[in-house]
Amino acid sequence: MGKIIDAIACKGLPARDIKNANIANLWIFAWAASLGIISYISDYEWYSSIITITITLIIHIGIGAGMMLAYRRFLKELDELERKIQLDALAFSVGSTILVFSSYSILENAGIVPELSPSILIAVLALTYSAGLIFGRIRYR
Amino acid sequence: MKNRLKVLRAERDWTQANLADQLEVSRQTINAIEKGKFDPSLPLAFKAARLFKMPIEDIFQDEAMA
Repeated sequence: MGKIIDAIACKGLPARDIKNANIANLWIFAWAASLGIISYISDYEWYSSIITITITLIIHIGIGAGMMLAYRRFLKELDELERKIQLDALAFSVGSTILVFSSYSILENAGIVPELSPSILIAVLALTYSAGLIFGRIRYR
Repeated sequence: MKNRLKVLRAERDWTQANLADQLEVSRQTINAIEKGKFDPSLPLAFKAARLFKMPIEDIFQDEAMA
């Protein structure tokens, strides 16, 4: 259990990597918050104007671009073993999500399951990425 | 790839954390290299060679050549 907690807590990384990870996490939080706020205000009537939609979309894409750049910087300057673990986890996550999506599509076309919500794919992506990170950190510890 | 990192570190009475700090990597990276689970990048291998003041081939050896 201690190994798993250490793996989740990312224990032992150099201070530079912790700082870059915190910056990337702040951008991810801002991106998720912008998505939540836009989803919330989209229920209001005044949000139907094309100008308002364009402005919020530009803000959301801008924050998303900042998030990607912060994550890229985090990976670029990361401790090299942790970078390998991150890339392995990303490969596992993307591969698993494509497999889940294609398998679900077959079932959906056959009428066995209801239409797939995009939020399920984001959840699969996040869960498999987290699982890949924990597995990698335990493996190389 | 085989390496003598553990022996060289022990000769200097350094812990894995000491070596990790000097090479600016995590202790886990040093541990994984010593156990042969992970091969370091060329820049990190050169950095280790500079730190130990030894030629790189005296620290890291290709297993196929050994």
